This record gives sequence, C-alpha cells and structure tokens, in this order.
Amino acid sequence: MKKFLLFILKISIVLVVVAIALDFGFTTIYKQSKNRGKIDYVFNSNARKYDVVILGSSRANNHFVSDLFEKQGLKTFNYGMSGGHLFEADLLLKLMIERKYQIKNVILEADLNLSNDQQSEGVSAKYLPYLHSSETVRKHFENEQDFNELYYIPFYRYLKFETKIGFRDMFKVATNEKTSVLNNKGYYSLGKTKGNMKNNIVNLNPLPHNKYYEEIKALCRANNIHFIAIMTPMCENVTGMNYFDKVHKAYPEIHNYENAVVENKYFSSCGHMNDEGARLFTNVIIHDFFKSKK
Amino acid sequence: MFFNSLTFAVFLPIVFVLYWFVFNKNKSSQNLLLILASYYFYSCWDWRFLFLLVFSTFLDYYTGIQIEKNKNEKIRKFWFWLSIGINLGFLGVFKYYNFFASSFATLLSDFGLKTSPFLLDVVLPVGISFYTFHGLSYVIDIYYKRIKAEYNFVDYSLFVSYFPLLVAGPIERATHLLPQVKVKRTFDYEKAKQGAYQFIWGLVKKVVIADTCATYANAIFDNYTQMNSWSLVLGAVYFAFQIYGDFSGYSDMALGMSKLFGMDLLRNFNYPYFSRDIAEFWRRWHISLSSWFRDYLYIPLGGSKGSKMKQVRNVFIIFVVSGFWHGANWTYLAWGFINALYFLPLLVLNKNRSNMEMVQLQWNFASAKEILHIFYTFALACLAWIFFRAKSITDAVLYIKRIFTEGNFSSQYLTNERYNYELLLMIALFVVVEWNYRFKEEPLSGKNSWLKVALAIAAIIALGTYSDYKEFIYFQF
Repeated sequence: MKKFLLFILKISIVLVVVAIALDFGFTTIYKQSKNRGKIDYVFNSNARKYDVVILGSSRANNHFVSDLFEKQGLKTFNYGMSGGHLFEADLLLKLMIERKYQIKNVILEADLNLSNDQQSEGVSAKYLPYLHSSETVRKHFENEQDFNELYYIPFYRYLKFETKIGFRDMFKVATNEKTSVLNNKGYYSLGKTKGNMKNNIVNLNPLPHNKYYEEIKALCRANNIHFIAIMTPMCENVTGMNYFDKVHKAYPEIHNYENAVVENKYFSSCGHMNDEGARLFTNVIIHDFFKSKK
Repeated sequence: MFFNSLTFAVFLPIVFVLYWFVFNKNKSSQNLLLILASYYFYSCWDWRFLFLLVFSTFLDYYTGIQIEKNKNEKIRKFWFWLSIGINLGFLGVFKYYNFFASSFATLLSDFGLKTSPFLLDVVLPVGISFYTFHGLSYVIDIYYKRIKAEYNFVDYSLFVSYFPLLVAGPIERATHLLPQVKVKRTFDYEKAKQGAYQFIWGLVKKVVIADTCATYANAIFDNYTQMNSWSLVLGAVYFAFQIYGDFSGYSDMALGMSKLFGMDLLRNFNYPYFSRDIAEFWRRWHISLSSWFRDYLYIPLGGSKGSKMKQVRNVFIIFVVSGFWHGANWTYLAWGFINALYFLPLLVLNKNRSNMEMVQLQWNFASAKEILHIFYTFALACLAWIFFRAKSITDAVLYIKRIFTEGNFSSQYLTNERYNYELLLMIALFVVVEWNYRFKEEPLSGKNSWLKVALAIAAIIALGTYSDYKEFIYFQF
C-alpha cells in the first residue's frame, strides 16, 4: 500500500509539474500575442495616441465607424467588444492609461450594459493569461468569486475557459494567425437584417451606481480625457424604451441617442444597426460632438 | 456524480482510504462500505430511484433463493417468471411505455382514429437497463442451475449495485463478479497501479476525444441541412469517435477504479474500430452486452444451430432487440436492423468467425487487404451511427442522401465556431496510439510509463473540453 500511495503522490506531482509547465508555456505565448483581439492588442502594446477611443459592448463595436472619425482628422480606434460589459471596458481603459496612451476623447456606449456590474466571462477570459503579469489585471479581478482558483491553481484559467484561451487559441497565437477583429480600426460592420426585430427590455433596470461606469468616468477625469457617454439606437419595436429615461435620470451626463436612428431598415438585429445605420449614426455623433466644436 | 467530475475526485479517494484502512477487517465490512458508497453514489442522481434499485435487488435476491429452494418445477417456474416479469415490467414502464403509447396513437391516427394517449411524466432512472440485466442474468442462471443462489443479501446487493458499474456497465455476470465479492480482497500493488493507468486513459478518451468530438458532431448533426458533403462525412466520423471515446472511456474508468478495490470487471471494448468485418466489430464493441444477448437470447433461440433461415431470424432478433435496448426510438431499432443486414452476408457465407484474433500487419498484399477491410468496416459502422445519432429516421436518411448529393467537399465553418476539419489531426493521433497498443488494455503501462502518464495528463488538462460539458451518452440507456 505504501508503494501505491507513493505512486499516487508521484502522479500528483506529475500533474502539478505538467500544469505549471503548461501554464508557463501558454502564458509566454499569449504575452507575444498582438493581433488576435483588442485585449492583447492593448496589453502587449506601447504608448499610442488617439483623438477618439470608443469603448463598450457590441453596441459600440457595430455602431461607431472609425473611418468616419478619421475622415475628420480624428485618429480613432473602436475598442468595443462584442458580448463585453463595462467590467471589461473599464479594465481596457486602465491598461491603456498604464501604457501611457495619449487619449483626447473617450466615447463610451453606456446604455443596456449599465444594468449590471458583472464581468462577461466570455470576454473577460481574454485578460486571464495576464493575471500574473499585470498588477492592474490582478486587482481588477481580485474581488471576483473565482479569483483564488484562477490565480493560484496553475493552468486552471486555461482549462476553465478552454474555448476562449485554450489550446486552439494558443496555437493560433503561436502560429501568428490573425483575426479580423482589428480590421477597420476595430469597427465591425453588420449586414442586412438577420436577427429578431423585436426586443423586450421591460425588466431591465440601470444600476443606480454602476461601479465600472463610475470608474471609467473617474479615470477620464483624472487623466484629462474628455468623456462622452452615449446611449445608442434600438430598433422600432422595443417594449420598455423608458429604460433609457431611467438611465438618463440616474446618469444625466449620458447623452440620449437611442432614437437617433429608428427605422428597421437600418438594423441588422433589434439592438444592432447594420453598416448603413452605423454610418448614419456616427455622422450624427461626429456632427454633435466634434464638428460643432470646430 | 460523474466519473470525470470534481465531486467524484473527492468521493473516490475517500472510499478508497476507508476501504483499505478502516473497513479492511473482513470481506463483510469491505462489502458493506462499498454498498453504502454505491447507494450514496446512486442517490446523487435522484435519491427516489434508490428505492427502485433496492426493490429490484431484493426481488432478484428473493426469487433466486425461491427458485433454488423449491424442487417443484411449477413453483420454480412461477418465481422465475415473476422475477422476469417484474424486471422487464419496470424497464417497460420507465423506458418503453411512452414510446409504445405514442407510436400506437400515431398508428391509429394513420387510420383516421385520433387519440390522445396517456403518457407518463417520469424520467428514466439512471442505469436501469444495466442493473436490470444484472438481475435477469442472475435469475436465469439460477433457474437453469448454472449457479447457486446467493444467500447473503449484502454480497448480492454489491453484485448489482457496485458503483463503478452501476450506471453504465459493464453488464456483469454472477459467475464472474460474485466469487470476487465472496472473498476478502487484499491489496495488490500491481493491480492498483494498472487500475490507475486505465482510469487515466479512460479520462483521456472521455474529455479529450469524446467531448471534443461531441462539439463538432453536434454542430454538424444539428444543422445537417446546411452542411456540405465533407462536413457530413466528418460529422459521422466525429460521432463514431465521440461514442467510442465516451463509452469505452467510461468502461476504462470503471474497470480501472474497480482494480483499485481489488476487483476485476469484464472487459467491454477491445479496439472495435480495428475490426475487419462487422462480426468482429460486435465481438469488440460493448462486449458485455453482446455476450449477454448471445447467452440469454441468441443461444436459447437456437443460436447458430438449425437451418440458415432460423439462424438469420435469430441474428435479426438479437440485433433489433439490442438496438431497442439502447432506447425507445425508431432510430435505435433501425441501427440494430442495419447491423443485422451487415452481418447477414457473413452468416450466409459462414464467414462470421473469420477474424477472431487482433489484426497483425506485415509488408505484403494480404496486409493491405486487411487495412482496406478495416476502413470498409469503419465506414459501415459510421453509416449505422448516423441512424443512432439522428433525431429521426427521416433525418438520418436525408443526412445520408445529402452526403451523396450535395457534392461540396471543402472546409466549412461550423456553429461551434470551428472549421469542420480541425479535429482530424487529433483523431489521427489517437488512432495511432490505440493501434500501437492494441494488444494491451491501455497504452500507459509498460516502458516509459511516467512519460506516457505525463503526456496523458497534459492532454487531459490542455486538450480536454470542459466548458461545454457532456454527460456520458450511455447514462441515458
């Protein structure tokens, strides 16, 4: 029996050693990644200069056409992340500031995402390879429920989020395979109607003090960045549009643009405009916030 | 509680330590602990079905004794049929009643008679097909005086409820497992080590092969109308490896952990995809079920004795019943029927026992022919798996039709956000490993075992699928 217990102990040691080795290998490779997504594009970068940085969820990613800003001479990048919450947008801005980005304006899509201050696991997983390499990332995650497991158990984060940062993605980073996420300066255009042109947001309520929204606002103030928070459009057939009034009441500084474009022909799905709608909307934003100032 | 879950990773070591360090005085205390552990393990699914398990155990225990004790043939027969009737009755009610009721209603509606059948709102008790078959074999063997009845209820309960085999087999025989239960087990280092290797290899098959293949197979089967021919072919191949990895992985884990407790279970898989014909495939796939049907259905029906027509009838009966054992759906029946069709030419030409030994290759023409036979048999198996996996026979037929008519054999992006061909390399690697170790139960023991264990562990944690958790397929049967 003693021999067997020793055998099990050896297997356990092999398990730990293999996990540590794999963790080290994966992390080393992810630290070289610069072109797979917006998070690694920022994390593994040096100082950049922007006139406009766009943050938010897919409703930022699909709605702000970076090229239209650029045409006005405004160096712009759309850092909106599909499926992302304000948790991830906040951390991205923190990393930009840490890397001494010079940013004049931050446009934050702040509407439906104000209803929660949770992380979006599918998106936040992309930060996890850097958990041990960045104090900023570690601090941002330290109050999360599974922080201890993610931080202290070697390789656990890669195992838990294997579809996002597992072997397949690591392999693609190692072979320098690009994605299209960074094309068009981060803007991702949608085609004609695909999804459901109905939405019910009656049960959605903005949090009175969304922690990450407040952090983004404070970060901008502390770093002399002009902060523009915007509610972006929804399609015609939405039940519970008074959600946006509730947002306005709780956060009066957020600009109401939910009705800037309404016709269904400008939407790909109810919460996401197609390219035509996005261009229309971006022009309105440029006109109201940038041209009028010139 | 699944074998690949964290709760089981806590459960197994606790039982192991208690078994060898606390309850190790005699075989009764060992058996008592294993029974308690097994009942706890089973109640983790649904404690209410524990009563069904205990009742079924008691029924066969009691009827077994009555059959043995009574000399009067009529009374023996009464107890025998009572046990068979109640066992099959439970199986019928929980597993097949809704299927028959709704199929009958459909049949009536085809004749213009509209009915709304009374359907039961019950879930299938996990493992019922397996423990019912344990009990059936026990009672049948006593009735035919092949074995003696077991008078110790704890020992008999352990034979039925032993947790490594309780929910998905292998389907044990009293002649094999009961003698092991009747003696005190002493710790055997080599056996336990072998068990640990087999458990690890089973885990590789489940989380690396089966669960990864499942994400691709599901993406293809669930959207087959949008898939091109190449994706559909790959979908069938992925499902073939999913079900093999899933079930043989489970069996390896069951056999492996049982060795940790000093007990050997029946081998359930013996590299079936290296078979050179369907008869060989069925001698290597789900061996405990195939041999059960052979011994308790095929042979009593006359087996290979009698006229060719009778033999053909017997083959069709066992394949169709075997298909139906898997589930109450026409697709399983079709799967069994197709396998019977595959088997038929071999039976008629007396070639069903041509390939009894594991394939061995040399650099000659005969070996090239054997390789072709292996590919051909695998293709036949895949074709039948389409029926097993499809939601309906219509879906299966359309799936196959699309393979031959769609005509596009290019890469395709699937709904699981992967390209259709991406798994091929991993499967090829798995096949190479299995091929090289096909004369052993698992590949990890032997030369360079530590290196192989390290690679297996690396594969489990780096290549396994965890976010999209898949239950063991055979738990539903």
